[in-house]
Amino acid sequence: MTRYIIRRLISVPLTLLGVTVVIFLLLRLIPGDPAVAMLGEHAAKENVERIREQLGLNRPLFLDRDALAEGDVAAFFDSQYIRFVGRLARGDLGDSIHRRIPIANELKQRFPATVELAGCAMLLAVLVGLPAGIISAARRNSIWDGASMVGSLVGVSMPIFWLGLMEIMLFAVILHWLPIGGRLDNSIELKTITNFYLIDSIITGNDTALVDVLKHLAMPTLALATIPMAIIARMTRSSMLEVLQQDYMRTAKAKGLQERVLLLRHALKNAFLPVITIIGLSTGALLAGAILTETIFAWPGIGKWIYDAILGRDYPVVQGGTLLTALVFVVVNLLVDISYAFLDPRIHYE
Amino acid sequence: MSENRMADQHHLAGERDAHRAPESVLGPPGVQPERAIQEGIADYAVRKHRSLWSDAWRRLISNNTARIGMAIVVFFVLAAVLAHFFWEYNPRIDLDYSLKLKPPNLQATAEIPSIHPFGTDKLGRDIFRRVAHGGWNSLRVGLVAVGIALAIGGLLGLLAGFYESMPIGRVGQATLMGGIGLLFGAAAAWITRQPWLAALFVGLGVISVFLDHLWEGRPTRLLLFGGVGLLVGAVPAVLVGPAAAAVGGLLGLSMGVVVARPLSGPLVSNVIMRIMDIILAFPGILLAIAIVAMLGPGLDKGMIAIGVVNIPVFARLARSTVLSVVQGEYITAAQAVGVGHGRILFRHIVPNSLSPVIVQATMGLATAILSAAALGFLGLGAIPPEPEWGAMLGDSYKYLTTGAWWAMLFPGLAIMLSVLGFNLLGDGLRDALDPRMVLQ
Repeated sequence: MTRYIIRRLISVPLTLLGVTVVIFLLLRLIPGDPAVAMLGEHAAKENVERIREQLGLNRPLFLDRDALAEGDVAAFFDSQYIRFVGRLARGDLGDSIHRRIPIANELKQRFPATVELAGCAMLLAVLVGLPAGIISAARRNSIWDGASMVGSLVGVSMPIFWLGLMEIMLFAVILHWLPIGGRLDNSIELKTITNFYLIDSIITGNDTALVDVLKHLAMPTLALATIPMAIIARMTRSSMLEVLQQDYMRTAKAKGLQERVLLLRHALKNAFLPVITIIGLSTGALLAGAILTETIFAWPGIGKWIYDAILGRDYPVVQGGTLLTALVFVVVNLLVDISYAFLDPRIHYE
Repeated sequence: MSENRMADQHHLAGERDAHRAPESVLGPPGVQPERAIQEGIADYAVRKHRSLWSDAWRRLISNNTARIGMAIVVFFVLAAVLAHFFWEYNPRIDLDYSLKLKPPNLQATAEIPSIHPFGTDKLGRDIFRRVAHGGWNSLRVGLVAVGIALAIGGLLGLLAGFYESMPIGRVGQATLMGGIGLLFGAAAAWITRQPWLAALFVGLGVISVFLDHLWEGRPTRLLLFGGVGLLVGAVPAVLVGPAAAAVGGLLGLSMGVVVARPLSGPLVSNVIMRIMDIILAFPGILLAIAIVAMLGPGLDKGMIAIGVVNIPVFARLARSTVLSVVQGEYITAAQAVGVGHGRILFRHIVPNSLSPVIVQATMGLATAILSAAALGFLGLGAIPPEPEWGAMLGDSYKYLTTGAWWAMLFPGLAIMLSVLGFNLLGDGLRDALDPRMVLQ
């Protein structure tokens, strides 16, 4: 078990290193020069050169073979990529090209915003999807089963950006119940400590802010939660149905156990592995879906930020942001794999 | 082909029974044995042969979910094809500001002289018409993207799963070692500007396969190949400079050490799957956006981007399916009678791994259509004014607050319904292709 965890832990930085190589190559293949993007089309050539040098863009991408031919080994390794990895090893993600501020500072603002949204969405998805799946399996072919399965099929087929737009149309434009976008109304003061607005408003006991934060969260959370909710419900149902057919379930029923105990303690516990796998994989979908949701609801998270940075050729922002989302995805799935061994004593990792 | 084989088997069965005929099988005494034999054969022949696929088809069309799914899919495909080929539409000249953002109307009035069942958009274009024509683009993107993902991912997963459980043949080993040589050689050739270095490295890789018993498992072998690699890498690079020679030598040395060790199948599988993990670690839409940004906007670029993003899905599925199929005793039997790897792979493993892949491809079409719509919405898909569902939503999104609900409702409904159709069909296919399901 320990050996397995260590092996998986070693694979995390390797995967992330692979992610940096891919994103590095992709970004440099995107036509357009960040220095030109910064100074404008008609900037003087020497200014562009100067900026390129300041940003280190004049260095070769991975290795400098010309320096090597002249025998300069230090310059051979002095490339954009190795500089980036070197800074990364010291915990420095670099500065945004456009805004000239450290990426770490901006991440401190934006990452909690995305995590708050994705976390609420995941919570909603599990709280609705899991019971829906359990009820469907327990009352197979009932009206509940039919309704939740039709609902979940529509859910997995939903273009979430469209759902978001329809929500805005209904709740904000027509009914005026909810704000159209953003995290907090401008008129409301909130002292930020963790940048998770929900936590901040609870800590500071700021009730007006809490209500407003919840109002702002409602629509994007619903939009983002739809697909994972549907997937979790479907997976729970099929996994539960499989378990309910087992002999030990009949034995447990014959013993005269209450249905609640039967379903929750005997069936759900055994049906939980595939469900938790899906929950882990859904974090990826949530982080990816956040780009669209954040665009529609003007949510100041990392999805929208990375998207704008790709179009604006802000290399360090894209590199840092992508690396962080990939890190979250890889770590969550590592935790899911490790949790198998604790959830199911039959699983042993060698 | 398979019909013939079945017929042969029936014939054999008939013959086998014929040998026992006089005692028991063939009914009341006194019946002519020949006739009885013929009747027996006839009995077998009368029962219509049913293949796995025809059984699956019956199950599919007797399944309500699948029927609804198929109806929706057929409707959208027909609508897209008919609109594309039989209803001319030139988006470049479709423009009428006097009809800007009019709500749906089913009867012509003085104000709106033409009929627009879905209303009009910001340029006064008929939304019904654009939704009908947009289907062609949206469905096409889904199909091509899944094709790309299936072809590349399926093949990679097949190879990974197969070589994880099978020894690698001589030719395969030579190819793989040559490939490793090419990787190291390309690096060395690029650094030293000596292209022919790559050929030398490839040669070293291939030779190591044919000298596989030379000092097998002993440190001498590592020394030999490492040393040869060092020379191969360093000597030509001396022409460039001492530092380059050091780097070239180092590359050669590491390459030599790698090829000196016996090549194992799980290693190949591991390398493939780790690369898949890297692609999977990216948030999908983000990678697609980056690829489209690299290739430039356009529908065809979107197809490639979505295809690439979905490669790991099919690779993982194909690998896990192959891994379980390879366990089958018929594979061991085929190996035992000396069937070659290629034949085992394509005659036994591929047909038996198809059904989960077919189901995933159908569901993949659904997600690909969704991703294409998302790219279109962000303005990275179809180039305006070309109609595409996602792009239509992106176009009208700024008019949300004016209350023009029709401009967003209908393209979105089209996306949702077509995706729902493919999901329903995939669900039905999963049940139909599961041989454990009994046909009523």
